[in-house]
Parts: sequence; C-alpha cells; structure tokens
Amino acid sequence: MENSQIIDLIKKISENRDELAFSEIFDFIAPKINAYYLKNNLSNEQAEELTQEVMSTIWTKAELFNPDKSKFITWSFTIARNKKIDFYRKNNKNDVNEEDIRGFLYQHDKSDDYEIEYTINKITEELDQNQKKLIKMSFFEQKSHKNIAAELEIPLGTVKSRIRATLNKMQKHIQ
Amino acid sequence: MNTTAQKNELIFSYASGNLGEAKNLFTSMYLYLNSVAAKKASVFDNILAKDFSETKGIGLKKLKFSDCIKNSNSADKKSTKPINPLANVVGELGSINWKSIYKGFKEFSIPVNDNDSVKLIKMDPGTSVPLHSHNGKEYILVLEGSFCDEYGEYNMGDIQINDQKIKHNPTSCKNHGCICLSITENDVVFFGKFGSILNLFTFVKSFFK
Repeated sequence: MENSQIIDLIKKISENRDELAFSEIFDFIAPKINAYYLKNNLSNEQAEELTQEVMSTIWTKAELFNPDKSKFITWSFTIARNKKIDFYRKNNKNDVNEEDIRGFLYQHDKSDDYEIEYTINKITEELDQNQKKLIKMSFFEQKSHKNIAAELEIPLGTVKSRIRATLNKMQKHIQ
Repeated sequence: MNTTAQKNELIFSYASGNLGEAKNLFTSMYLYLNSVAAKKASVFDNILAKDFSETKGIGLKKLKFSDCIKNSNSADKKSTKPINPLANVVGELGSINWKSIYKGFKEFSIPVNDNDSVKLIKMDPGTSVPLHSHNGKEYILVLEGSFCDEYGEYNMGDIQINDQKIKHNPTSCKNHGCICLSITENDVVFFGKFGSILNLFTFVKSFFK
C-alpha cells in the first residue's frame, strides 16, 4: 500500500473514527506485526495478543501520527517494538512507560525520518546481501550469535567479527 | 577496547529492543545526554523499520480488526512528567542515599530485574580507582563532571566500554569530581599493592548479593 493512501486512511480514523478505513489498515499492517512477533520467538497466542494491543493503539492514537515527521510503517514498527519490550518487562513499577521515553529520545534529535532516509539509503547501498542478512538476523529477528553461526554454518568468531565490520561500515554515514 | 563498533552495537541493540533492564536504562540515559548517540539510534530505528516493511505478513488465526476497536482504551495515560530515564527510576541525583566504599568514593546500587548489575558511582575531585581489569565487560557513562584514565578524558554524555583486555586506573576531574552510571557484567579484578585485599573483599561480597 502506498504511503499517501495510508495517510488518507489514518486521517479518516482520527477525524471520523472510520471503521472501514481501520479494517484496511488492519489488513495491511496486522499480518506484518504478527510476523515480527513470531520471528522474535513469541508463541502464536502471544503474537496475536500483542498485535491486538498495537492495533488498538493505532486506533486510539491515530491523531498522534504525524505524516510530516515519519512514515506510517516506521511509526507502527516503533509501537510494536515498544509493546514487545513492555511485555518482557515484568515488574514495571515506573510512572513513565518505555513508549513515552523512546518517543521523547528519538525526537530529541531534531532531524526527521525523511532526512534520515537519505542516510539509510546510503548505508543500504553500501552493504552487501550477506551483511544485510546478518544485521537483520541479529537485530530484527534477535537471534543470538550462536544461533546465527549454526544457521549460516560459519564459526561464532566470524559472526561476531562480521557484525562488527558491518557496524563500522555503517558508522561512516552516521557522523 | 572502547571502540565505536561496540558503542554502535549497544545503540543498535537498544533500538531493536533486545537489551536487559540494566543496559536498557544505561543506553536510554546515554541517548538522553548525547545527541550524536540519539541520532544514531534514530537511524538504526529506521533501518529496522525498513526490515519490518519488507517482512512478509503472516495471517492472524483469531484476531479481527473489530477486536482492536472493542478493546481500545481511550483512557490510555500519557505521562506529563519530564522524561529523564534515570530520574524516572531513582529520583534526582541530589537526593541519592549514597553508600561510602572508601574515602572519596561512593556508590548506589540501582535495583533492576537483570543479571547485569547497575550502579551509580560518585567520586570526589581527584579520587582514583586502583588499577583493575574486568572478568566481563564494564560500561561507564558520565552523568556529571569528568574523569580521566590511560585512554583519555571522559565528559558528560561520554561512555567507556571496557573488556578483559583493559587495565585502567580512572581518576576523577580535580575541579568537580564526577558522577557516573556503571554496569558490570562480572566482578572487577584488582592489581597492585591493595589488589589482593580488594579482590578478597569482592569475593566475600559476592556471598551477600
């Protein structure tokens, strides 16, 4: 789905509580959120439970989404990731939740997601397929270095050194 | 060694949400004080979001869109408190109940549900820590003031990541002293004149953890 189409749908949700628009957003994003949780080793039941929480947040906080600042996909990923952290944090006694802290920290830096996109495109151009795969396995799917080594059939030390080398390569574009 | 790759790995792990409570607190405070680190976190956040956008969806077995409307809670609270990740957990630095370890050196352990231990360290101006290395990694973030060691000077918002290979002898700044946030993955190993006594002390202390 195009970002402009999503922006229209989100507007309908925030202004008119349009359920039909929400069902379209749901069909587009909910299976991705579910897949993200399953890849992160949550059970079917836990994944659906958390997906429900994320979708409820999108429904209630649709007016907080600012299309000038970020893409919908980034905004929804951020919510999904924060719900996962809160899920693992059993004894959260603090008044301020993770979502508020991260919301603040990422805006702390004044550049928006569109500015950052240029940097990311540069980085993506520079990394080869293997490096992208390694970053994805380690940080997006949160596989341990040991599991990555087993899956790719390479020594553990090689996994560690390749991740370091990839991070160094990325670093050049972030200064 | 205290390399950029190690710092990036920490920031990237933070953005992906796979840090334990101690390192999560440490890194959020690092981002709070250091705008370069915060920018990196935003970049990493977007790289992960790109992976997310390319993810092939997996159909939901039970959940329907209407379930999410039914369960939405409009009273979802939004905090109005200022967001300082550390103050959120321990309150203001001025009101910490410090425990004196030796002359000029105080600490305060922050209770976290994690294998890593995290504490605040306060060093009076010119205080030194005896030469030591680490069994695991040590992470230090300067919250106030500055300190120096054999590898350089560290000011507010700077971090140092030390592993087994490093032996160092940190000394706080002569004018202001320093307050740091520190994580140790394993106990520290001391060297020098009082080394064996301090190692024994750490060993005995481990029984009371």
